[in-house]
Amino acid sequence: MPSGALPMLILRVLQTRSLHGYAIAQRIHLLSSEVLAVEEGLLYPTLQKMLVKGWVTAEWGISETNRKVRFYSLTPEGRNCLKTELSDYGRVTQAIQDILRTA
Amino acid sequence: MGEIFRRIRYLLHRRRFDKELESDMEFHREMAAREGRNNFGNTLRMREQAREAWGWTWLDRLVQDLRYAARTLGRSPGFTLTAVLVLAIGIGVNVAGFSLFNMVALKPLPVPDPGSLVRLERRSPQSYTSEMPYASALFYRDHAKSLSAMMAVLGVPPMEIDGDLQPTSASFATANYFAELGTRAAYGRMFEPAREDDASAAPVAVLSYSLWQRRFGADPSVVGRTIHLNGKPATVIGVTPYDFATLGGQHPDIWLPIAQQPYFVEGSKVLTNPSAGSVRMWGRLAPGVSPKMAAQELLALTNELRRQHPKDIWNNEYIDIKPGAHLQVMQPEMYRVAAMVAVLTLLILAVACANLGGLLLARAVTREHEMGIRIAIGASRGRIFRQLCTESLLLAFLGAAAGLGLSYVVLRVALSRLDTPKWVTAVPDWRVLLFTIGISVVAALFFGLTPALQIARQRQRKTIARQVLIGAQVAASCVLLIVAGLLVRASLHALYTDPGFGYEQLLSVDPQLGQHGYTPADAQAFLAQMQSRLLAVPGVKSVSLVEMPPLGHIVDRMTTEIDGHSVAIYPNWVDSGFFRTMGIPLVLGRSFYAGEKNAVIVSQSLARKQWPGQNPIGQKFKNGDDSFLVVGVAGNARVNAINDDDAVELYWPAQTADMADMVVMVKAADEPGTLPPIVKSISASLDPKLFPETRQIKLLYHDNVLGVERVAMAVSLIGFVAVMVAGVGIIGLVSFSVSQRLKEIAIRLALGAKKIQVLAAVLRQFAWPIVIGMVVGTGIAAAASKVLRKALYGVDNLDPLSYAAAILVLLAIVGLAALLPTRRALRLDLAKTLHYE
Repeated sequence: MPSGALPMLILRVLQTRSLHGYAIAQRIHLLSSEVLAVEEGLLYPTLQKMLVKGWVTAEWGISETNRKVRFYSLTPEGRNCLKTELSDYGRVTQAIQDILRTA
Repeated sequence: MGEIFRRIRYLLHRRRFDKELESDMEFHREMAAREGRNNFGNTLRMREQAREAWGWTWLDRLVQDLRYAARTLGRSPGFTLTAVLVLAIGIGVNVAGFSLFNMVALKPLPVPDPGSLVRLERRSPQSYTSEMPYASALFYRDHAKSLSAMMAVLGVPPMEIDGDLQPTSASFATANYFAELGTRAAYGRMFEPAREDDASAAPVAVLSYSLWQRRFGADPSVVGRTIHLNGKPATVIGVTPYDFATLGGQHPDIWLPIAQQPYFVEGSKVLTNPSAGSVRMWGRLAPGVSPKMAAQELLALTNELRRQHPKDIWNNEYIDIKPGAHLQVMQPEMYRVAAMVAVLTLLILAVACANLGGLLLARAVTREHEMGIRIAIGASRGRIFRQLCTESLLLAFLGAAAGLGLSYVVLRVALSRLDTPKWVTAVPDWRVLLFTIGISVVAALFFGLTPALQIARQRQRKTIARQVLIGAQVAASCVLLIVAGLLVRASLHALYTDPGFGYEQLLSVDPQLGQHGYTPADAQAFLAQMQSRLLAVPGVKSVSLVEMPPLGHIVDRMTTEIDGHSVAIYPNWVDSGFFRTMGIPLVLGRSFYAGEKNAVIVSQSLARKQWPGQNPIGQKFKNGDDSFLVVGVAGNARVNAINDDDAVELYWPAQTADMADMVVMVKAADEPGTLPPIVKSISASLDPKLFPETRQIKLLYHDNVLGVERVAMAVSLIGFVAVMVAGVGIIGLVSFSVSQRLKEIAIRLALGAKKIQVLAAVLRQFAWPIVIGMVVGTGIAAAASKVLRKALYGVDNLDPLSYAAAILVLLAIVGLAALLPTRRALRLDLAKTLHYE
């Protein structure tokens, strides 16, 4: 998958609720009808980048398997970022489609 | 902004964040394993990648590299010690040079608000003087709104305390001098502006700390005591502190209020005379005023002053404002000297770096194995290169620390030998530290880059790097040796060249008649009496009068154009007996008659320049609108320009009007040192209020020469050290070369080659670099020595003897350095060598 899209997807997935890392990967896999699979090696570096940039925060919680794990949630900056990313992505996709249709 | 704080938090709490990351990823694996998906990836690698997002990987790598570099250096202590020593010398010399410059020109005096202190001097495109009339200084003070304070210092000849045989140095200063500098008395008090400004107040004096220790036995009860200065009683009111900082770096032993100058120097009109340059003027800029604004206001005031006293102000005169709160007020020539010294010290650094580069190259070969392994494991070339650069940086900083220590020691020794004010310390300040760091980075770049590149690219077989290094060392050493040779020759020249007059037996006696209010007629009478009384003394051979004595306090110089060249002429006013007393031969013509006007005597060099090939006698010399008849030609005598071999002299006959400024020259029959007390008693009997300044010319001459000698010695020492370092470096590189080709040499010898042939084969690769290095070095030295001309005292800057000597010495050292290792190689046990693997 285009690596630039992952932060956007993570932000979108976290918009409605907080999730831990594995759940994020699962949800992306599920919602994309198993087309997109996020590897560990890509997910965690991206999450760390987003943590440093301040788009998400992490807090300790209890998972469904009764284990202590960190849950990621959006920050206000993250929400703004999501809005910007979505609109940018929309524009770019539209532009690419226009070219593919007519060129 | 927030991002930066977050990144810093990640740096500070690394371990915690790392653990959190670890737990996240472990959990991820657990969950994946539950669902049967086993991702076997490299956990550590993924964590490392995740951590990269924090942005501190470079710091990690740097710490890693430093640890590794420290271990590597520790494993070869011999190499490390040599390298640090070489660097310490190269960096230390530069740091010492910069420290001296810092002390003199950059570090501000330890006084309140040094930034606003300025030195004010009269200047015009044609003229310059360091002293101005006190009346002018007062005028500027009263009218300049851009100056919040004015300080003036009046230098006078040494004064006699209470009948001492040797006089003591003294200066007059304005009453606000100590107040403006924030000086706190060690004992008693300093001048107070309100009390000491009054000319009719009781006369007071302030003593310097060292005078108080030397002559008054460090006795605190001296405060309040009355002492006699040149016979005039004055009360001691205080002692300056041990580390007293003065403006301009001169430290007289006695300070007197300038308002009381007429009391101590009876009859003096110096303070009110608008034409007599007398004081050095300093000022404080008013708050918020820039030097530019002040300069403009002062220019307007100068023009106003010219309207009031048109004869005393030059055309196009302006007041030059320079920062005043440094040890030395920097003149443009001083910057040139500083630049020259900087170049020399950088050359030494270049030799040290080339040397070290060679050492590192040699070491690189022994590390081939290590590098091979690292590359095989997977290190990228860039990574290895970075690590080697870090090694060089570590070495450079170790060398810098050692160099800093070395420079501190050298400076301590130098400061204790030279006569510096006590507040100047050898302890480095922030400027020196910054400079040290900068120069060690530069050094690391120079010596570290080449070997690192070579190692990283694994191309050590080529010898070009080795050759360049040797060439560079030879060139730099060549320049240093030649310059040292020139300076040594100059000092020898100065020592053994006849200045043209008989300084060994001369005494100058300056009664300062003008300063004591003598009229020209009175002065003439006094001088006539003095001369006749002196001639009656058995130890005196002859006497005469001169306005500017040799090595005196004042020098006059005029520049004229002869045949398109500008020539600097030193004029002087003399009486008829001058040439005989001074021992200057009259080559043609005659000396002056008594009372002669419109005549002039020229020196041989001036005659040759002005009237080449003709008889100068009878010619006319033009000065402005007047023309004077040449009646005599004197031998060249650098009376007023001891250090300038191009100097040219001109002598005017002294007129009655000049008599108050005249100085008596006495030629002793044998030892002039016995005469000063006799002169003193003669003068006292003629007029007790006079205290003539008596100086032995040969002592002054030797002091002058001593300065040159010291500089030459220092430079020679440095040049010698640099050449030794270069020599050691060359030995290293050659023995390295030889060790590489040991087998080849052994085979050649076994096959019957003559030793000379083998030597030639091994050393041939060094022949060209050495030759090129010498040529380049000589060229650079020739160009650079042009700057030294003024300091070279008559030695041509292309003096063949110095160049030849330097080149021969260098060749000898280089030859020795090259031959020594090869000789050892030639005496090998062939069988053993051929078997050795």
